[in-house]
Amino acid sequence: MINCMCVIQEGQAADQARAVLANKLSAFAQENLGEALQINWAPVAPGNGFTAGQPSTSSVVALTANQPVDQARREQLLRELVSMWSDETGCSVDEVVAVVSDPATH
Amino acid sequence: MPLYICNSQKGALDDTSKPAIAQAITDIHCTVTGAPPIFVHVVFFEDAPIVPLQDNTLAVRGTIRKGRSDQQKDDIAQAIEAALVEHAQVEPHRAHAQIRETPASWVLEGGEIMPEPGEEAEWFAAQEARRQAVAES
Repeated sequence: MINCMCVIQEGQAADQARAVLANKLSAFAQENLGEALQINWAPVAPGNGFTAGQPSTSSVVALTANQPVDQARREQLLRELVSMWSDETGCSVDEVVAVVSDPATH
Repeated sequence: MPLYICNSQKGALDDTSKPAIAQAITDIHCTVTGAPPIFVHVVFFEDAPIVPLQDNTLAVRGTIRKGRSDQQKDDIAQAIEAALVEHAQVEPHRAHAQIRETPASWVLEGGEIMPEPGEEAEWFAAQEARRQAVAES
């Protein structure tokens, strides 16, 4: 099982959009990493997100791969994640932080 | 990135303390590391599993770009704990901060792979050049 943490601003994606996003993220993981995805949603209430000390609407999607990923492949996955996220939430690429981590080695 | 996640007991933070803590964390990170403020994200949760509180009233987990010294990471954590005590008025032993690292190359932000620590100026210049090229095309 691949873990994915999604820090999302409340109101940025309606429940329906979040369900679509979850399906697309799951398909993304299955297609690219060959395994199912466990999504941990962390909705940020209005007034609880800040960038540079100012209120912000940034979101974070952080996925831990089930195998080490080379950098070219990682960058491709990151760009696909951000594109998917932007398409479904309507936010710009400047509002999305994406992380694709290798699995822990300890 | 960095991303600082602050978890608190329900009602421990009011709406005025959160902006103050967010600004303090931003200032601390930038002072210690020299990173630009625009990279610093702070989000707040209450009684959330994302950062376990254990016996604390407030717990902050910061995920920063890999490459900082142990001293810098300790300085950040200690200064954040002091800021939590000051702005949330909790007892010192009820405020905890920890720092984790992630390689910059694992993170995409602003549409680009994050720069290594110390390479921010080149990153901003390259990003601006790309934006201008897109605008002119």
